[in-house]
Amino acid sequence: MSDDAPLGDMLAKRGVSRRAFLKYAAYTASIMALPATSTNVIAQALATAKRQSVIWLSFQECTGCTESLTRSFSPTLEDLIFDFISLDYHHTLQAVSGDAAENARHAAMVENKGKYIVVVDGSVPIKDDGVYSTIAGMTNLDMLNETVKDAFAVVSVGTCAAFGGIPHAKPNPTGAVAISEIIKDKPLINISGCPPIPEAITGTLSYILSFGKIPELDHLGRPKAFFGETIHDRCYRRPFYERGMFAKSFDDEGARNGWCLYELGCKGPVAYNACATLKWNGGTSFPIQSGHGCLGCSEPDFWDMGGFYKPLSTSLDGLGKTAAIAAAAGAVIGTGSALLARRHQENYLKDLADKDEEI
Amino acid sequence: MTQPIASGCASVGHTGLTRPVLREIASLLKKLAKTGECDAIDLRSLPMSNEDRYELETALGRGEVHANVMVAGDSEVWETFYPGVWWVRHFGANHEIASETILITDVPDILKSDAEDIKRAAVRLDADLIEKEQGTEKTSDRENAHE
Repeated sequence: MSDDAPLGDMLAKRGVSRRAFLKYAAYTASIMALPATSTNVIAQALATAKRQSVIWLSFQECTGCTESLTRSFSPTLEDLIFDFISLDYHHTLQAVSGDAAENARHAAMVENKGKYIVVVDGSVPIKDDGVYSTIAGMTNLDMLNETVKDAFAVVSVGTCAAFGGIPHAKPNPTGAVAISEIIKDKPLINISGCPPIPEAITGTLSYILSFGKIPELDHLGRPKAFFGETIHDRCYRRPFYERGMFAKSFDDEGARNGWCLYELGCKGPVAYNACATLKWNGGTSFPIQSGHGCLGCSEPDFWDMGGFYKPLSTSLDGLGKTAAIAAAAGAVIGTGSALLARRHQENYLKDLADKDEEI
Repeated sequence: MTQPIASGCASVGHTGLTRPVLREIASLLKKLAKTGECDAIDLRSLPMSNEDRYELETALGRGEVHANVMVAGDSEVWETFYPGVWWVRHFGANHEIASETILITDVPDILKSDAEDIKRAAVRLDADLIEKEQGTEKTSDRENAHE
């Protein structure tokens, strides 16, 4: 059966009924924070959609984002995304290599001109004409520009692609930049995180497939469904923060009783992500639930955020006194703490922007 | 019996969310009864703890219908003690709950056979019957040949 067949027909040929679409639609609606009553619409859209061509480019990355997406041991609901997309190029996963691989990329670009999605993980080095990362004799910069030319949209997966990530950390010897610094003329979605939660990747791709458009994005180009709230906003340890009950060290009474990890460096108040709700490993846990503060890995320059174990109150100049007062008097301030957490984010981003200008 | 763990819920005790959710279900059920309009509540979108979910499941109880749907992993669908209020639980990897919805409807769509699937099934059953009948004729021919 050709790839032009609707997904419904394609799966039916393998004995999978339309119920699979209803189930996947319910799952997608849930993780994308769409109304539960939109399930039928999504299911119908998916069943009649054609398989989406995806070209995945991996640049300065650790492969963690691909690992996040592909961790599955048996055919599951979450695996359906690999039926809905045609992963036409992924030089880490695909069986062919060398010229055959590059020919596959070019063939997919021609066959799906104007309709394929380019997924990128990893940053792109631009210093010294981009020589610090090359694939098949091409710099990452040239490969990106060549591949994106006829794409429908670009999805930057992981903090490295979205914001530069670890390669971009000081002193950034290779001149690593985010994809958005290079691509200016295509719809671009950032799915940040180190790595991103897999549902953020699959949910966004499913949304594009179902609705033919990109989802609503925040000021950093991230889908609001996953990045609309801070970790702090949805953290189950928030009541301890409000009451001023903080762990002071990793093995003290507070840590053992699950108190707030703010004073142990948790960056939850300034980190926008869905870890506190969707969690990791199929909803098993997330760093805070496992006893470690949030690293803020979905935010720009999280490696240069002042130290993983330094509280926000001491990380950034100008915030220290106010934040320290808020942390110590969380119980008194109450809902004011939530407003202060928002203020942390605004000041933090402004501080980063000022520091970038200095560099 | 061990209750399934919902992805994303923490075991942090009751949050008090069960009662407002029950009231919302009651309101939607009244609307269904009066106007026929269906609705749904995505339990995963609510900050419910595991204890809240168990409390809700206990409060709604079980009715006459329970179905297992085996597609892309397992799903459980049951009508609660209140006809028109259905609980749909989809499992994903490692049998963790991937999505969980309360449907206020006469019958959930996932329990119905899809029109396209029915068309295909009709063609398939015809083909299977022909194959069976041809198999029976061949057997009879062999039996007659030996007599």
